[in-house]
Amino acid sequence: MDLVVLGGYVAMVACGLLALWAAFFALRDRAVILKQLIAAGVVVALLLVQAVAAVVELTGGRELVEPAVFWGYLVVALLLLPAGAVVAIAERTRWSSVALVVIALSLLVMESRILQLWSMGAGS
Amino acid sequence: MTEDLPMPADTRRPAFGAGRVLIVVYGVFAIAATARAGYQLIAKASEAPLAYTLSAFSAVVYIVATIAIAHNGRRLRVVGWVAVGIEMLGVLLVGTLSMTHPELFAAESVWSGFGEGYGYVPLVLPFLGLAWLWWSSPRRLSQVRS
Repeated sequence: MDLVVLGGYVAMVACGLLALWAAFFALRDRAVILKQLIAAGVVVALLLVQAVAAVVELTGGRELVEPAVFWGYLVVALLLLPAGAVVAIAERTRWSSVALVVIALSLLVMESRILQLWSMGAGS
Repeated sequence: MTEDLPMPADTRRPAFGAGRVLIVVYGVFAIAATARAGYQLIAKASEAPLAYTLSAFSAVVYIVATIAIAHNGRRLRVVGWVAVGIEMLGVLLVGTLSMTHPELFAAESVWSGFGEGYGYVPLVLPFLGLAWLWWSSPRRLSQVRS
Protein backbone atom coordinates (compact mmCIF):
# COMPACT_ATOMS: atom_id res chain seq x y z
CA MET A 1 0.00 0.00 0.00
CA ASP A 2 1.57 3.27 -1.07
CA LEU A 3 1.20 6.63 0.57
CA VAL A 4 -1.50 7.74 -1.91
CA VAL A 5 -3.79 4.85 -0.96
CA LEU A 6 -2.95 5.13 2.74
CA GLY A 7 -3.50 8.91 2.75
CA GLY A 8 -6.74 8.38 0.87
CA TYR A 9 -8.06 5.87 3.41
CA VAL A 10 -7.06 8.01 6.39
CA ALA A 11 -8.68 11.05 4.71
CA MET A 12 -11.87 9.04 4.11
CA VAL A 13 -12.05 7.92 7.74
CA ALA A 14 -11.44 11.47 8.97
CA CYS A 15 -13.99 12.81 6.50
CA GLY A 16 -16.56 10.24 7.60
CA LEU A 17 -16.05 11.20 11.25
CA LEU A 18 -16.41 14.86 10.33
CA ALA A 19 -19.66 14.06 8.49
CA LEU A 20 -21.02 12.28 11.60
CA TRP A 21 -19.94 15.16 13.83
CA ALA A 22 -21.62 17.71 11.55
CA ALA A 23 -24.76 15.54 11.28
CA PHE A 24 -24.94 15.41 15.08
CA PHE A 25 -24.70 19.21 15.16
CA ALA A 26 -27.37 19.56 12.48
CA LEU A 27 -29.73 17.39 14.54
CA ARG A 28 -28.98 19.43 17.66
CA ASP A 29 -29.79 22.65 15.74
CA ARG A 30 -26.25 24.00 16.02
CA ALA A 31 -24.04 25.83 13.55
CA VAL A 32 -20.56 24.69 12.53
CA ILE A 33 -17.92 25.50 15.17
CA LEU A 34 -14.24 26.34 14.80
CA LYS A 35 -13.12 22.90 16.03
CA GLN A 36 -14.98 21.34 13.12
CA LEU A 37 -13.28 23.72 10.70
CA ILE A 38 -9.91 22.71 12.20
CA ALA A 39 -10.89 19.06 11.65
CA ALA A 40 -11.80 19.98 8.06
CA GLY A 41 -8.33 21.54 7.78
CA VAL A 42 -6.81 18.21 8.87
CA VAL A 43 -8.78 16.43 6.12
CA VAL A 44 -7.54 18.97 3.55
CA ALA A 45 -3.97 18.46 4.84
CA LEU A 46 -4.38 14.70 4.33
CA LEU A 47 -5.59 15.33 0.79
CA LEU A 48 -2.53 17.50 0.19
CA VAL A 49 -0.27 14.70 1.51
CA GLN A 50 -2.02 12.38 -0.92
CA ALA A 51 -1.51 14.84 -3.80
CA VAL A 52 2.20 15.27 -3.02
CA ALA A 53 2.64 11.50 -2.71
CA ALA A 54 0.92 11.11 -6.10
CA VAL A 55 3.30 13.65 -7.68
CA VAL A 56 6.30 11.81 -6.19
CA GLU A 57 5.04 8.43 -7.42
CA LEU A 58 4.26 9.76 -10.89
CA THR A 59 7.67 11.41 -11.31
CA GLY A 60 9.12 8.08 -10.14
CA GLY A 61 7.80 6.40 -13.27
CA ARG A 62 4.32 5.29 -12.31
CA GLU A 63 1.64 5.80 -14.98
CA LEU A 64 -2.04 6.60 -14.67
CA VAL A 65 -4.72 5.48 -17.12
CA GLU A 66 -6.52 8.83 -16.94
CA PRO A 67 -4.22 11.40 -15.34
CA ALA A 68 -6.45 14.38 -16.26
CA VAL A 69 -9.50 12.86 -14.56
CA PHE A 70 -7.43 11.89 -11.51
CA TRP A 71 -6.06 15.41 -11.05
CA GLY A 72 -9.44 16.94 -11.81
CA TYR A 73 -11.00 14.97 -8.98
CA LEU A 74 -8.13 15.74 -6.61
CA VAL A 75 -8.23 19.50 -7.26
CA VAL A 76 -12.03 19.70 -6.90
CA ALA A 77 -11.80 17.56 -3.73
CA LEU A 78 -9.34 20.08 -2.29
CA LEU A 79 -11.78 22.94 -2.97
CA LEU A 80 -14.84 21.37 -1.31
CA LEU A 81 -14.07 21.82 2.40
CA PRO A 82 -12.81 25.42 2.04
CA ALA A 83 -16.17 26.15 0.38
CA GLY A 84 -17.82 24.57 3.42
CA ALA A 85 -15.80 26.89 5.65
CA VAL A 86 -17.12 29.90 3.73
CA VAL A 87 -20.69 28.66 4.28
CA ALA A 88 -19.92 28.03 7.97
CA ILE A 89 -18.82 31.65 8.40
CA ALA A 90 -21.67 33.17 6.37
CA GLU A 91 -24.49 31.03 7.72
CA ARG A 92 -24.64 30.83 11.51
CA THR A 93 -27.57 28.41 11.71
CA ARG A 94 -27.93 24.65 11.67
CA TRP A 95 -27.92 24.81 7.89
CA SER A 96 -24.15 25.32 7.86
CA SER A 97 -23.91 21.92 9.59
CA VAL A 98 -26.18 20.39 6.96
CA ALA A 99 -24.00 21.92 4.24
CA LEU A 100 -20.90 20.44 5.91
CA VAL A 101 -22.54 16.99 5.97
CA VAL A 102 -23.35 17.26 2.26
CA ILE A 103 -19.82 18.40 1.45
CA ALA A 104 -18.15 15.71 3.56
CA LEU A 105 -20.30 13.00 1.94
CA SER A 106 -19.53 14.22 -1.59
CA LEU A 107 -15.86 14.31 -0.62
CA LEU A 108 -16.13 10.66 0.44
CA VAL A 109 -17.55 9.74 -2.96
CA MET A 110 -14.86 11.72 -4.76
CA GLU A 111 -12.08 10.19 -2.66
CA SER A 112 -13.31 6.68 -3.49
CA ARG A 113 -13.21 7.65 -7.18
CA ILE A 114 -9.67 9.03 -6.71
CA LEU A 115 -8.50 5.73 -5.18
CA GLN A 116 -10.27 3.84 -7.98
CA LEU A 117 -8.50 5.93 -10.64
CA TRP A 118 -5.21 5.46 -8.83
CA SER A 119 -5.49 1.67 -8.66
CA MET A 120 -6.55 1.57 -12.34
CA GLY A 121 -3.04 2.73 -13.19
CA ALA A 122 -1.40 0.08 -11.02
CA GLY A 123 -1.53 -2.60 -13.67
CA SER A 124 0.18 -0.64 -16.45
CA MET B 1 -35.50 70.10 3.40
CA THR B 2 -34.39 66.59 4.17
CA GLU B 3 -36.75 65.09 6.62
CA ASP B 4 -36.04 61.81 8.28
CA LEU B 5 -37.65 59.20 6.14
CA PRO B 6 -39.00 56.20 8.02
CA MET B 7 -36.79 53.20 7.51
CA PRO B 8 -38.63 50.38 5.79
CA ALA B 9 -39.40 47.92 8.54
CA ASP B 10 -38.52 44.82 6.63
CA THR B 11 -37.56 42.21 9.16
CA ARG B 12 -37.93 39.27 6.84
CA ARG B 13 -35.20 36.69 7.14
CA PRO B 14 -33.03 36.89 4.09
CA ALA B 15 -33.89 33.97 1.87
CA PHE B 16 -30.99 31.84 2.95
CA GLY B 17 -30.80 29.25 5.68
CA ALA B 18 -31.66 25.99 3.95
CA GLY B 19 -30.96 27.69 0.63
CA ARG B 20 -27.26 27.74 1.42
CA VAL B 21 -27.22 23.95 1.29
CA LEU B 22 -28.87 24.13 -2.11
CA ILE B 23 -26.27 26.69 -3.25
CA VAL B 24 -23.50 24.33 -2.10
CA VAL B 25 -24.97 21.36 -3.97
CA TYR B 26 -25.53 23.45 -7.11
CA GLY B 27 -22.00 24.82 -6.78
CA VAL B 28 -20.50 21.33 -6.52
CA PHE B 29 -22.44 20.28 -9.60
CA ALA B 30 -21.38 23.43 -11.46
CA ILE B 31 -17.71 22.72 -10.75
CA ALA B 32 -17.99 18.99 -11.40
CA ALA B 33 -19.92 19.41 -14.67
CA THR B 34 -17.56 22.16 -15.86
CA ALA B 35 -14.46 20.11 -15.11
CA ARG B 36 -15.96 17.07 -16.77
CA ALA B 37 -17.16 18.93 -19.87
CA GLY B 38 -13.88 20.81 -20.20
CA TYR B 39 -11.91 17.57 -20.05
CA GLN B 40 -14.24 15.78 -22.48
CA LEU B 41 -14.26 18.62 -25.02
CA ILE B 42 -10.49 19.16 -24.92
CA ALA B 43 -9.33 15.55 -24.73
CA LYS B 44 -11.84 13.62 -26.81
CA ALA B 45 -14.38 15.92 -28.47
CA SER B 46 -14.75 13.77 -31.60
CA GLU B 47 -15.75 10.56 -29.77
CA ALA B 48 -19.28 11.59 -28.81
CA PRO B 49 -19.99 15.19 -29.86
CA LEU B 50 -23.64 15.18 -28.75
CA ALA B 51 -22.99 13.84 -25.26
CA TYR B 52 -20.06 16.19 -24.70
CA THR B 53 -21.91 19.25 -26.00
CA LEU B 54 -24.69 18.26 -23.64
CA SER B 55 -22.19 18.06 -20.77
CA ALA B 56 -21.01 21.58 -21.57
CA PHE B 57 -24.60 22.84 -21.79
CA SER B 58 -25.54 21.27 -18.45
CA ALA B 59 -22.40 22.81 -16.92
CA VAL B 60 -23.52 26.27 -18.07
CA VAL B 61 -27.04 25.65 -16.71
CA TYR B 62 -25.62 24.63 -13.32
CA ILE B 63 -23.32 27.67 -13.19
CA VAL B 64 -26.18 30.07 -14.03
CA ALA B 65 -28.50 28.37 -11.51
CA THR B 66 -25.82 28.54 -8.78
CA ILE B 67 -25.20 32.24 -9.34
CA ALA B 68 -28.92 33.04 -9.56
CA ILE B 69 -29.87 31.16 -6.38
CA ALA B 70 -26.88 32.55 -4.49
CA HIS B 71 -27.47 36.15 -5.57
CA ASN B 72 -31.22 35.93 -4.93
CA GLY B 73 -31.87 39.37 -6.42
CA ARG B 74 -35.10 40.31 -8.13
CA ARG B 75 -33.90 39.83 -11.70
CA LEU B 76 -31.59 36.91 -10.96
CA ARG B 77 -34.47 35.08 -9.28
CA VAL B 78 -36.21 35.15 -12.67
CA VAL B 79 -33.03 33.85 -14.26
CA GLY B 80 -32.99 31.17 -11.55
CA TRP B 81 -36.53 30.04 -12.42
CA VAL B 82 -35.53 29.75 -16.08
CA ALA B 83 -32.24 27.95 -15.38
CA VAL B 84 -33.74 25.44 -12.93
CA GLY B 85 -36.69 24.93 -15.31
CA ILE B 86 -34.29 24.17 -18.18
CA GLU B 87 -32.38 21.87 -15.84
CA MET B 88 -35.57 19.95 -15.03
CA LEU B 89 -36.56 19.67 -18.70
CA GLY B 90 -32.99 18.67 -19.55
CA VAL B 91 -32.66 15.88 -17.03
CA LEU B 92 -36.12 14.49 -17.85
CA LEU B 93 -35.59 14.73 -21.62
CA VAL B 94 -32.02 13.41 -21.67
CA GLY B 95 -32.86 10.77 -19.08
CA THR B 96 -35.76 9.49 -21.18
CA LEU B 97 -33.84 9.67 -24.47
CA SER B 98 -30.85 7.84 -23.01
CA MET B 99 -33.23 5.02 -22.09
CA THR B 100 -35.13 4.86 -25.41
CA HIS B 101 -32.32 5.85 -27.80
CA PRO B 102 -29.06 4.82 -26.10
CA GLU B 103 -27.20 5.08 -29.42
CA LEU B 104 -27.48 8.87 -29.23
CA PHE B 105 -25.44 8.91 -26.05
CA ALA B 106 -22.28 6.92 -26.67
CA ALA B 107 -20.68 8.60 -23.66
CA GLU B 108 -22.11 9.42 -20.28
CA SER B 109 -23.28 12.92 -19.48
CA VAL B 110 -24.47 14.33 -16.17
CA TRP B 111 -28.10 13.90 -17.16
CA SER B 112 -28.03 10.53 -18.94
CA GLY B 113 -29.97 7.77 -17.19
CA PHE B 114 -31.62 10.49 -15.04
CA GLY B 115 -28.24 11.19 -13.46
CA GLU B 116 -27.57 7.64 -12.29
CA GLY B 117 -23.83 8.28 -12.38
CA TYR B 118 -24.35 10.89 -9.67
CA GLY B 119 -26.66 8.96 -7.37
CA TYR B 120 -29.76 10.43 -9.09
CA VAL B 121 -29.03 13.75 -7.42
CA PRO B 122 -29.38 15.57 -10.81
CA LEU B 123 -32.96 14.24 -11.00
CA VAL B 124 -33.93 15.46 -7.51
CA LEU B 125 -32.04 18.75 -7.63
CA PRO B 126 -34.30 20.74 -10.01
CA PHE B 127 -37.39 19.84 -7.94
CA LEU B 128 -35.64 21.05 -4.81
CA GLY B 129 -34.50 24.14 -6.71
CA LEU B 130 -38.01 25.04 -7.87
CA ALA B 131 -39.43 24.32 -4.42
CA TRP B 132 -36.83 26.61 -2.87
CA LEU B 133 -37.43 29.39 -5.41
CA TRP B 134 -41.16 29.21 -4.65
CA TRP B 135 -40.67 29.01 -0.87
CA SER B 136 -38.14 31.85 -0.68
CA SER B 137 -40.08 34.18 -2.99
CA PRO B 138 -40.23 37.64 -1.32
CA ARG B 139 -43.82 38.05 -2.49
CA ARG B 140 -44.89 34.79 -0.86
CA LEU B 141 -42.96 35.51 2.33
CA SER B 142 -44.52 38.95 2.72
CA GLN B 143 -48.02 37.54 2.12
CA VAL B 144 -47.43 34.80 4.68
CA ARG B 145 -46.30 37.38 7.19
CA SER B 146 -49.19 39.80 6.70
